[in-house]
Amino acid sequence: MSEDHQNHHQQFLRAFTTHEPAVRAFVRRLVPSRADADDILQEVSIVLWEKFDNFREGGDFKAWACGIARFKVLAWLRDRGRDRLVLNTEVVELIADESLRDEPRLQKQREALETCFEKISQPERDLLSRAYQANGNIRETAAASGRTIAGFYQWLYRMRQMLLKCIHKTLAQEAST
Amino acid sequence: MNSNNDFEQLIQRYMDGQAKSAEVEQLNEQLAGDHEARKKFCEQLNLDSALAAIAAGDVPENLSPAELKPAFQEQGRRSSAIWILSLVASFFLLISIASWWKPVARPLATVTSAAGIEEISRGSLLFKQRVKINKGFLEIVSVTGAKIAIEAPAEFWFESAQRLHMKYGRMAADIPDTAKGFTVVTPEGEAVDLGTKFGVDVPSQGDAEIHVFQGEVIAQSSDGGKRKSLKDGEAFLLQSGAGSSREFRSSAFIRPGEVASLHAALEVGQQERSEAAKENLKNDPALITLLDFESEETLPMGTYRMGQGRWPGSRAPEFVNVGDHMKIDVGGKREWSELTLAAWVRLDQLGEPYQSLLHTDGWGEQDGQVHWMVTQESTMRLALYGNKLAPHSTSQHGFPDSLQPVLPEQGRWVHLAVVYHSAQRTVRFYFNGEFDNKEKQQLAHPARLGPAQIGNWNLHDRKLSGRMDELLILGRIMNDDEIHNLFEAGTPYR
Repeated sequence: MSEDHQNHHQQFLRAFTTHEPAVRAFVRRLVPSRADADDILQEVSIVLWEKFDNFREGGDFKAWACGIARFKVLAWLRDRGRDRLVLNTEVVELIADESLRDEPRLQKQREALETCFEKISQPERDLLSRAYQANGNIRETAAASGRTIAGFYQWLYRMRQMLLKCIHKTLAQEAST
Repeated sequence: MNSNNDFEQLIQRYMDGQAKSAEVEQLNEQLAGDHEARKKFCEQLNLDSALAAIAAGDVPENLSPAELKPAFQEQGRRSSAIWILSLVASFFLLISIASWWKPVARPLATVTSAAGIEEISRGSLLFKQRVKINKGFLEIVSVTGAKIAIEAPAEFWFESAQRLHMKYGRMAADIPDTAKGFTVVTPEGEAVDLGTKFGVDVPSQGDAEIHVFQGEVIAQSSDGGKRKSLKDGEAFLLQSGAGSSREFRSSAFIRPGEVASLHAALEVGQQERSEAAKENLKNDPALITLLDFESEETLPMGTYRMGQGRWPGSRAPEFVNVGDHMKIDVGGKREWSELTLAAWVRLDQLGEPYQSLLHTDGWGEQDGQVHWMVTQESTMRLALYGNKLAPHSTSQHGFPDSLQPVLPEQGRWVHLAVVYHSAQRTVRFYFNGEFDNKEKQQLAHPARLGPAQIGNWNLHDRKLSGRMDELLILGRIMNDDEIHNLFEAGTPYR
């Protein structure tokens, strides 16, 4: 690998590692499942690297990456979305535009989650982590927690509502201090 | 249940893949016509993504060591497997970058060398399980090609081939092109590699430190600390929400490559050999002291931490800051016409100020007071108060100095020895058992010991940046063969 190429690669990685969570969250808001988002993100990363030459140094990497991700999502909805329960393209486009505009606030929410996540009890945290791990099997996780599958989803629902409430509260407090 | 709740349930059913076709249709309608609904929807899915990110870093509790089965044993298969992996990784750079997103049940790393650890052996595959080691050394290669050495006590796990979590312990990494971006996650923040050799020290209490041996690393303290770029020879203390520069310590870390050599020495019974040699020395009638720092009850007073010594699970005092020291009081008030000093050390940083190996408390009250140190020029020095160098001496600074610098192999354990003979007026220096230099004295008083410090002297103007394992003080001279044997019996390398 030449030195230039190496530097170039370093720049890319630096930018990418910084903005990856935002791009991932952006994609997640547009597709039905986390696994779909993972698939799309892999494709996006390859395009980003291929096109990194065209990216102006000092430009807004996050905006550029989300732009490319948006294309990939729409292509995915067109190709693979047919046999899946997905939202209408018009709705997805609306959400894409609005959520990009809203990204600073959404980013704060993601950051606030780290604090809120620490506030819940260890057993609940473990259970949530298990349910969210990529190969997490909901059936097994539910059984391990002594709940039915439907009961487990209800529990997940309540936990998320609670976390969201905590996030809103945390950010409101931050804004007022 | 009100309609608000219904809507939120609907979002979550969609998000969890539970929604039926009619429900998705309903969701579509609500989202199409209502900005507030879309806002709520975005928040829920945003949370989902952030929760997944947190969960990825929060892995289930320990698998038992029995589940770490060696997958292959022979050299040939091991190296070819790694060769293929690194070949694939280098051809498909991006595939390797992309691979840290989709954790599947495949190994993330392979143990290439283990020294002094019973549960884990060469060839063990590491998945996402937590690994806890109480003693010994491990060397690991991630599937992306990152070489990592870890020293006990440590607890760690791979989140992916490119993300290593260190709960506590010490690791050093050697990152090839194929693994650029390799990240070490600590409780206080992260170190992101940009193509380097670097080390991370995560004490079980206190903040983590990043040390860059070569290249560049981005340090990112948790809780919104600023990102900081670190280059060759720089070190940084990760603190929640902040961080600060640290003095660079290179030898604090067992480096990739060293573990195999430590392992080979253990295999041929080097630790037992060292123990036997130690027992022999204890019976030497001229023995003044032999400190091995193993027993808690007999540890000298002072300010220092304890780290691992040359052997798995053995202990060695570690000195970090100027002023860190250990107090000893040996040799009484008598005069020693012959004296041998020897120690195993692992030094981090040379130069200013002097590194104190052994400084008796005074200087000037009595002739013969002993100061043994490493100078700014990295040479070893034995200074006795009131002594004079012979004319035409090679030493430049008025005291007997070694010819070679102390660290021919920086970042490893080295054996230092000096032999003093007042009647013959000679000082002889040895590195790793090899004779280095003989200095003649014009005036040579018998040596005096008594209260002394390791790592410091009176006024916080000395230090010892590193570890010391075994200090031998003998009231007689040792000849070249004896020093050589002392080294051979005590070396942790093969």
